[in-house]
Amino acid sequence: MSGPEGRGPGSTRAHVRRWFAWSPGLEDRAAWEAWAQAPAALALEGHPDASFLPPMLRRRCTPLTRLVLTAAFGASTEEERPRVRTVFATRHGSINESIELLHQVVAGERLSPTKFSHTVHNAQAGLFCIAAGNREASSSLAAGADTFACGWLEALTHLEREPGRPVLLVASDVPLDPTFAVLVKEPPGAYGLGLLLARDGAGPGFDFDLAGRGASGPTGRDPGRGAQPWPDATEFLRFLLAGEERLELGRFGWTRLGTPRLATS
Amino acid sequence: MTVARPPCRLAALGVVNALGGDAESVWRGLVAGEPSRLSWNDGLVPGRRLLVGAVTEKLPEILAPLARYGCRNNAMALAALRQIEGPLREAIARAGAARVGVVLGTSTSGVSDAEAAFRYQREHGGLDPAFDYAQLEFGGLAAFAAEWLGVRGPAYTLSTACSSGARALASARSLLAMGLCDAVVAGAADTLCGLTTNGFGALQAICEGVTNPCSKNRSGLTLGEGAAMFLLTPEPGGIQLTGAGESSEAHHMSAPDPSGAGAEAAMRGALEDAGLAPEAIAYLNLHGTGTPLNDAMECQAVARVFGTALPVSSTKPLVGHALGAAGALEAAFCWLMLERSERGALELPPHCFDGERDPEIPALHLVGKGESVRPADGTLRVMTNSFGFGGNNCTLVLERRA
Repeated sequence: MSGPEGRGPGSTRAHVRRWFAWSPGLEDRAAWEAWAQAPAALALEGHPDASFLPPMLRRRCTPLTRLVLTAAFGASTEEERPRVRTVFATRHGSINESIELLHQVVAGERLSPTKFSHTVHNAQAGLFCIAAGNREASSSLAAGADTFACGWLEALTHLEREPGRPVLLVASDVPLDPTFAVLVKEPPGAYGLGLLLARDGAGPGFDFDLAGRGASGPTGRDPGRGAQPWPDATEFLRFLLAGEERLELGRFGWTRLGTPRLATS
Repeated sequence: MTVARPPCRLAALGVVNALGGDAESVWRGLVAGEPSRLSWNDGLVPGRRLLVGAVTEKLPEILAPLARYGCRNNAMALAALRQIEGPLREAIARAGAARVGVVLGTSTSGVSDAEAAFRYQREHGGLDPAFDYAQLEFGGLAAFAAEWLGVRGPAYTLSTACSSGARALASARSLLAMGLCDAVVAGAADTLCGLTTNGFGALQAICEGVTNPCSKNRSGLTLGEGAAMFLLTPEPGGIQLTGAGESSEAHHMSAPDPSGAGAEAAMRGALEDAGLAPEAIAYLNLHGTGTPLNDAMECQAVARVFGTALPVSSTKPLVGHALGAAGALEAAFCWLMLERSERGALELPPHCFDGERDPEIPALHLVGKGESVRPADGTLRVMTNSFGFGGNNCTLVLERRA
C-alpha cells in the first residue's frame, strides 16, 4: 500500500540509515548500546571537541554548535553530507547566548554583530551548511516538550517534498540558563543525536502516527508528566537500539516496520 | 508510481502590520504604495531614531488560562487569528481537533517582553512574575495558537530567520499531503524588539529613513513587525499554494552569496514543484530588503530565471522588514492580490523607491503605481521570495484559476 512517493499512504514512513549520538561520557556507539541496556539521566556539562572542523570555525562554536555538528557529521558520510536535506530540532537553540545579548541590550551596550548573527535559531543549520558545503533545504524548529517528535515530523515533510533525497535530522539541546531553567520542567542533559532518514532502503523502518496515548492535553504532554528522566531524542535512540516495536512520546507514536501485527478478531 | 499531491487551499487569511489591523486596510495600503504608515521610534537603539513599520493597532489581551503566553508577539498572532476565527472554528469542527495542525514561524518570539522582564530584573532584583519562559521559547508561538484554538494535532514553530514564515506554509502543505492533518493553521508573527534592531544596527544593515530597494542609493533595511495567519485545507478551488522551493547557501551567516545562486535555486525549485515554466508567473514579490548585497544578488537571480520583463516589487518600504514574519506577510500580500483580482486582472503593489535605478544591477520591471496585469490563459500565478540569515531561502507560488 505504500509507494515510493511522498504522498498518501506510506508517506509517514522513514528508515534510519545511520545514527550518531554524543553526550558527555556517551561518546561512541558502544557506549550508547550499553546505555540503552541500562538507561540513566544524561550529564549536563561537557561538549565534543569537534576536531573535524576547521580551526577558524571551531573557535566560534558554542557547546550546542559542537554537539549539533558532531552529531550531524557522525550520522552522514562525506559523500552524503552535501546532498541531504536537513532538520535541526532544538527546544532552546542558542537561547543562552541570546539571553547574554538581551542583558547587553537592556544595559544599553553595543552588540557584537557576529554574536548576534550566531544566535538565530538556525545558526547551527547555517554553520552545518557552510562546513558541509550543503545547499539543500533546511529547517530549524522548536516545539517545547514535543520538539523531538515534531523534528521527526518536519523531516517527514521534507521526504514528502522530495522522497528520493535523505533527510538528516539533528536533535540537540544543552541545559537552559538557570534564570529560566527553574521555570521549565524537563529531563535535563547535554546531547546531540543525528539520524539519517530515508523513505526506503537499509536500516530499521518506522511508521509515524498521532495516535500516542499521551494525546490528552491541548498541546501535548505536560513537560515532566510520566516522561522518562532523559530527553525524548535519547528515548528514541534507546527504543531504536532495544529493537522494541512501539514507542509513544506524548501524542506521537512510532511503530517499527516489519513488526508482525496481532490479528484482530 | 507518482501520487499527485492533493490540493492545498489557502482558505482564509488574517493579517496585521504597519498598514493596518485587517485585510481591507492592508490591501488599501498595499496598492496605494506609500510608506506613510511607518513611524519613528527613539526607544529601540540607544542614541538613534529609527523609522520602523510598527503595528499601531491595539492588540488583544491574552487572558487566563493562557496568560502565561501573554507577550506582544503572541498578541500579534492572536490579532490575525481572530480575524478568521469563524472559518477556523468551522474547519476545526469539521476535521476534529486532533486532525488540525499548527505550523508557525517567528524569529523573535516574545523577545520584546523578555527585554522588559530583564529591565524589571535590573530594578527589582528578580524577574517580573508575569513573565514566563513560554513567551521566549520559539515553540511557544505554535503552542499558544494551538491552545487558543483548542486543537490537538502537531504544533511546532519553524525559525529559519527571514524565511520562517514562508517555510511554515511549505511544511503545512506537506502535512496535508501526507494525510496527517485535515486542516493546518500556518503563518508567522514577529515583533520589533531591542535585540533585532540593535543586532541589525551592529551589522550596519539599517538605513536612515525608509528603505530604498533596487536604488543606486540603497543603504540598508527598514525593520517592521506583523503577523499573517492562514487556514490551509486539502480542498480544490479558491487560492492554492502550488509551489515551494528551498535552498541553503553554504556561504556566510549574515550575508547572501553575491552570485545569487541560492536565490536562483529557490525560485527554480518553486517553479519545478508547481510544474510551471517561468513565463507562467505574472508577478514576483521580491525579498527586496534594500541592502546593497541582497538587491544586487536577487535582481541577478531573477533576471537569470525570468529575464527582465516580469513585473516585480518589494513591499518592504510599505511595512518594513518583519524578519520571521516577512515570508508569511508577503504570501498574504500575494493572497490579497489574487483574492481581489477581478475579471482576470491582477492589481499589483507598486515598487516604492527614489526612482534612481542602480545601473550595476539588472533593470527589472519594477511595478509602477496603478499597474495591473492580465495573464492570457486566465490563471493568475504569483511568486514570493524570502531569504534568511544563515543562508536559508524559501520561495512560494500561489495560484488562482479564473
